[in-house]
Amino acid sequence: MLTLIGNEWLKLRTTRGLWILLAVQLTLITVGAAGPLSNMPLDQAATAIGAVAHVGLTSLVALILGISAVAGEYRHKTITDTYLGTPRRGRVVAAKLTATTLVGAGLGVAGAAVSLAVTWVWLTAAGHTMPWSEPELWRTAAGGVVWNAAFAAIGVGVGALVRNLAVAVAASLAWLALVEGIVGQVAGRDVTRYLPFSAGTAVGRLPASIADGLPQSGAAALLAGYAVLFAAAAVVFSTRRDVA
Amino acid sequence: MASIDISVRGLSKHFGPVRAVHDLTFDVPAGQVTGFLGPNGAGKTTTLRMLLGLVRPTAGQALICGRAYPDLPSPRRTVGAVLEATGFHPGRRGRDHLRIAAYSAGLPLARVEEVLDEVGLSDAAGRRVGGYSLGMRQRLGLATALLGDPQVLVLDEPANGLDPAGMAWLRDLLRERAATGRTVIVSSHVLSEMAQTADRVIIVARGRLTFDGPLDRLEAEAGSLEEAFLRLTTDHDDAAAAAAAR
Repeated sequence: MLTLIGNEWLKLRTTRGLWILLAVQLTLITVGAAGPLSNMPLDQAATAIGAVAHVGLTSLVALILGISAVAGEYRHKTITDTYLGTPRRGRVVAAKLTATTLVGAGLGVAGAAVSLAVTWVWLTAAGHTMPWSEPELWRTAAGGVVWNAAFAAIGVGVGALVRNLAVAVAASLAWLALVEGIVGQVAGRDVTRYLPFSAGTAVGRLPASIADGLPQSGAAALLAGYAVLFAAAAVVFSTRRDVA
Repeated sequence: MASIDISVRGLSKHFGPVRAVHDLTFDVPAGQVTGFLGPNGAGKTTTLRMLLGLVRPTAGQALICGRAYPDLPSPRRTVGAVLEATGFHPGRRGRDHLRIAAYSAGLPLARVEEVLDEVGLSDAAGRRVGGYSLGMRQRLGLATALLGDPQVLVLDEPANGLDPAGMAWLRDLLRERAATGRTVIVSSHVLSEMAQTADRVIIVARGRLTFDGPLDRLEAEAGSLEEAFLRLTTDHDDAAAAAAAR
């Protein structure tokens, strides 16, 4: 199994996709941090926390990574060769899930490091001090890492279920941008806070979710549940479907 | 009597009302090149995909060295397969593609350089596959199939995209594999190529077996492989096609 996980990592790092996504993510995090830092009072901890909260938001990038780890193999028909080498498909999906979740966490850690560094440099240059001892800062950064890892795992499940790369990415983004909002208007916040993106915002401690979202640990458990659900569906569908 | 490495029994695949493959039974012996022939849509690719565990049969079974493909203990050391010229990530380098296949099969990375040399891709191995010609992709697919030095080679239309020199090279490779006691099954609709390469032929039409035997027997009966092929694959319910075959 370790070999298969290592193999998935080899697949990820031998194409440019991962490195392009990393560059996009770090750029978004840096630009995102500049927003609060240029518009909010620099002597308050909430400003630094708001800057670092962008780590979680870039879990969209991790989601796309997870989707392309599976659907990309169907798009380029490399899935045939993958299953020829490892005909036990459940093991392939499990290895993809593990490797991609770890890489998603890695993206989150890289993002958190860059975000904290940018914020620290900005505050220091402006003559302020970084609120290193503020627990909420670390909860936000750590939550962002967890959110990235969970969305990478969910992406693997979505990619295995939908298999068409463009449709899977479009449907996921539509879900995040539209569907949860529409459900919110129809069914209200009592329902939407249990949906994946809203749970993610609670894990990543986005300011909007702190007031009426789930508690961070509960939301993290819920996200893990979604990841397991998608992964189980992915294994079941992947073992049954023909590879044409 | 040569040993039998591939054994297909009552194999069927139905897509709704369409019988893509229906009740196919044949054996593929070792030490020979077996041509797997049929017109487009005859069910060749579906049969090979069932043999390789990629498509689930509606009925029947296909065994390689006595086991279903997913039950083989080390598939790449037993079977090498080339199914499509397009099964590569265009952004990945040729050498990395082979390293991934070797790594997952527990094969030494030295094999990657050996097969690159064998198929003549050593100089191009550092380039991304997106820049490869169709012939180069076929060679990369063959290199992947040869990684585990397998007993059985399964090739689906491997001649597509190969130039005359490449065809001659492929023919020599297949003959050499067969001469060392390996099993080779090659699907094709290029009859002239098969006439020069195959020892035996299996012909399918509309998902059913229409001939299974030595190439020279077929040619002796019909005069040429082409005549035999047309006679064995023509739908006699179709008056125009039947007339063309006569």
